[in-house]
Amino acid sequence: MASVTTPQKTASGFKISRRWLPYVLSLPALLVCIGILVPFFTAVVYSFQRYRLSQPWARQFNWGENYLNFLYDPAFWNTLKISLIYAGVTVVLELALGLGIALLLQKRTRINNFVSIMLLMPLMTAPALAALMWKLMTNPGFGILSYLASLVGLQNFRWASSPDTALLTVVLVDIWVYTPFIMILLLAGLRSLPTQPFEAAALDGVPRSFVFFRITLPMLTPYILTATLFRLLDSIQQFDIIYAMTQGGPGNTLTVFQVEAYLNFFQSTNVGRSAALMIILWAITYILSNIFIKNWLRLRERARGEA
Amino acid sequence: MHEKEKDLISAFMRGQVDRRGLLKGLSALGVGLGAGGTLLNMMSTTALAADFDWKKHSGKKLKLLLNKHPYADAMIANLDSFKQLTGIEIAYDVFPEDVYFDKVTAALSSGSTEYDAFMTGAYMTWTYGPAGWIADLNEWIKDPTKTSPQYAWDDFLPGVKASCAWNGQPGGALGSDDAKQWCIPWGYEQNSMTYNPALLEKVGAEVPKNLDQLIETAGKASKDLGGPYGIGVRGSRSWATIHAGFLSAYSNYGQKDLTLSDDGKLAAAMNTAESKAFHGKWVQMIQDGGPKDWSTYTWYQVASDMGAGNSVMMYDADIAGYFMNGGDNKMAGKLAYAPFAANPEAKAPTPNIWIWSLAMSNFSKDKDATWYFIQWASGAEHAIFGATKMDFVNPVRQSVWKDEIFREKLNKGYPGYVNAHDTSAPGARIYFTPQPLFFDVTTEWAATLQRMVNKEVPVDEGLDMLAESINRQFKEAGLG
Amino acid sequence: MESTSLLERILRGVALVLVVVFFMFPILWIVLMSFQTNETILSVPPSVIFSPTLENYQALITGKLTTAAGTLDIAFMRNLGNSVFLSTASVLIALLLGVPAAYAFARHKFRGSEDIAFTLLSFRFAPPLLVLLPLSLYFQKLGLSDTYFGLIWVYQLICLPLILWIVRGYFEDISADVEYAYRIAGHSWFATFRKIALPLAGPGIAAAGLLAFIFAWNNFVFALVLASADKQPVTVGALAFVTASGIQYGQIAAAIVLSIAPVLALAIYAQRYLVEGLSLGAVKG
Repeated sequence: MASVTTPQKTASGFKISRRWLPYVLSLPALLVCIGILVPFFTAVVYSFQRYRLSQPWARQFNWGENYLNFLYDPAFWNTLKISLIYAGVTVVLELALGLGIALLLQKRTRINNFVSIMLLMPLMTAPALAALMWKLMTNPGFGILSYLASLVGLQNFRWASSPDTALLTVVLVDIWVYTPFIMILLLAGLRSLPTQPFEAAALDGVPRSFVFFRITLPMLTPYILTATLFRLLDSIQQFDIIYAMTQGGPGNTLTVFQVEAYLNFFQSTNVGRSAALMIILWAITYILSNIFIKNWLRLRERARGEA
Repeated sequence: MHEKEKDLISAFMRGQVDRRGLLKGLSALGVGLGAGGTLLNMMSTTALAADFDWKKHSGKKLKLLLNKHPYADAMIANLDSFKQLTGIEIAYDVFPEDVYFDKVTAALSSGSTEYDAFMTGAYMTWTYGPAGWIADLNEWIKDPTKTSPQYAWDDFLPGVKASCAWNGQPGGALGSDDAKQWCIPWGYEQNSMTYNPALLEKVGAEVPKNLDQLIETAGKASKDLGGPYGIGVRGSRSWATIHAGFLSAYSNYGQKDLTLSDDGKLAAAMNTAESKAFHGKWVQMIQDGGPKDWSTYTWYQVASDMGAGNSVMMYDADIAGYFMNGGDNKMAGKLAYAPFAANPEAKAPTPNIWIWSLAMSNFSKDKDATWYFIQWASGAEHAIFGATKMDFVNPVRQSVWKDEIFREKLNKGYPGYVNAHDTSAPGARIYFTPQPLFFDVTTEWAATLQRMVNKEVPVDEGLDMLAESINRQFKEAGLG
Repeated sequence: MESTSLLERILRGVALVLVVVFFMFPILWIVLMSFQTNETILSVPPSVIFSPTLENYQALITGKLTTAAGTLDIAFMRNLGNSVFLSTASVLIALLLGVPAAYAFARHKFRGSEDIAFTLLSFRFAPPLLVLLPLSLYFQKLGLSDTYFGLIWVYQLICLPLILWIVRGYFEDISADVEYAYRIAGHSWFATFRKIALPLAGPGIAAAGLLAFIFAWNNFVFALVLASADKQPVTVGALAFVTASGIQYGQIAAAIVLSIAPVLALAIYAQRYLVEGLSLGAVKG
């Protein structure tokens, strides 16, 4: 692409140099978001304070104490562990399932198009309401799922109420709600792949597994990364489903970051601890997405190089 | 209006004739009950206005933050009479209960001047009060220029009234002499027993009189009935699990949540030998006779099971039992009520209570006018209107409980309700120790209870760990 | 691809049926519940045999809800209207801001481009609570609290990063050669963007827009914290059926059905963009 900075005529007639054009295009988006930075930094300040709304007289800077306390707090390590497990399990399962479904629906047929739209419906039910419905469906008395489970011999399956199956149950709901998100992105990606490599491979009689792993998957990787990234960011911050189903219980089985932070803020009004928890969550997502973006850009570069 | 009718109503206003006598007299004069009520309301409004300048803030505007609740509905239904009485315009925002307190916290913590008064529970004022978000209402109650002589502050049930007053000292007794009146009780719930007589009979059992009998009956019911379970209690990981039946029974054994030392330090008190024995029983009750997915149970699941005939007994808010006995519930008209004292040696029940109350925002731009609203909404006239015409149960005023029409309405459709209430009322109050870490303590308590019921930790060990953790948090917060 | 064996076709068919059953069964069950009274919903064991009622929908649409505690007024239709307005406006603004930015990041490597792009993404991973509470303080001061404007602004946190990054991916997949040729033919930058780049990335933009719309639609914490009752979306409104006098499952189910309907309609409308995919075979270099 020419990097000469020649003046360009824009639609409105006035001149913007080529060098400034990308800034002009991207800055409005940035400016709109930049306002959000102010409250973010306010929250950072809170996280360095001993700050409970119910004890305003005790408010003072305690510098890193909120963070240092986490080191000795088993509840915090539990939160960290559960959040990572939850995010890992949901993202991996949803990715595998989403990719599988996208491959099933890849062919442009009427029925496939119809099914792919229908499958978006779980995504359209607000997670908090979806969780309420799942709670009813898994109720041991009135619940259809409990009833069906009992028909296949699972007499006392306790779903979200047992520490052994609570994670499984919320993961199931998460999969139900969010797999369509990955599915639709990958389906769009799959259908936009160029056809030549596949035609060539078919002519040469290359085995299907080889085609999938060496052609389809690499070409699809940028889409997979985008979808995974957004899913991961949301999943590690999951709140609605877990809170509506179990409020973090039973015991401390599901006290993920957002549930802890929410309870700390809205119930205990312990703003300092709540803010510190969320800053740590923010840092984790920052690091994770950084890794993702680096790889995404590298893959992009490589794809471009090959093209 | 005919003179005779006017005389009769005036006699009522002066206290010479009671309400029942009044309406009887009116119907003898050919005035129907409905019309009589309307007349009475009109006359009350006139009478109210007689001794007090209700029009002082006429033309002002107030905005309320309300929870979606029958109490709020009853108030909204009667708002016109407030407007007539005072000339104050009222606007209101209603939010669903699930998110209501989040909205309150968000509005108050940002110092929003939007709302002048709002609904709250007493527990929440333990945060709002010290945070400086709400006003101490004593300033208005005790000022005769601002409060009508007919307000009758003494008419409120003493335990309920005291439960809404706290001096703000961590561990300070509720209702002490130096207490601030953070909110005015509006309607309240006692935690007592609602049961399904038909199912109980099927099991061949009596209404349990104490915790041991309850454990036995509930366990037997769960085993024998093959479907419905014995006893519904809350179990979700929330303060609400501790506050309902659990704390009512716990207090009946004379046990406390926390102790306050002479030098003002708080310490956990739930790992005493008696407390451990009690926890053991409670856990056994749930394991043998509770709902299978107890640890996700919030009040509405406990209640809907009762209403659907899926549980035999429920140890929870009496008004939840009241509502499950009506509407489109399968068990409508088939439930009954009983007082419950968990400890066989206790003389009377000690229900812990939930109080929907009205509080005044400190950010309100016109507090005097706001007080006019709170005064009217918590006044006897509105309470009678709500209790007899709407579902404003349980009223917090003794005079309403004496009202024959109200008692008759309850006795007709809700067998044992009035008796359960009256038996329990003397012991009904908040049994928690007011302190800033209320929600931390109770949430962790509930989580520990869940682990005990799920057999993840033995009762003794679990309570020791809980006490240790709570004590550590008190130290961190400078309270222990 | 065409030489699929019979066995494979059967396996594919079975897999598809399983997928449809898993994802659609709860939806079907919710639809069934929306035609039942609470009494039949709460019967043991659950049954598919019931006499359907329109009560739930009637209650939602007329705004009169009959419960054990008398008739309640509900503002469900208003909530629905708010959701439509908030989500539509937010997504339109996010598209207006995000698509040019995405194009800039995809086509131009400029100083700080990756940093700006990453910063924009990072707004997505600030936990909403973290930003929201201090934000409510500032909104109070700026007079933005309880305004649609303020809400739509905050909704950009959900929509903008999503649109930006998904659309960027699509732009990068389109070869620049066509645009280049068009430019050389003497057309302005803007004309090239509008006539060539936008249509080619259409499916990507549609997918990103739809997903952003869905996420905006499902959000409730923003409006809850920042606005008063008359500006609440359907997600908050539907919680009104958890009432003090019991939970109204039938109405919640009906509320879910009614709240899915507009989004579904949008998805069906956008279908040809969404699933037709890009026919880039010829374009890609």
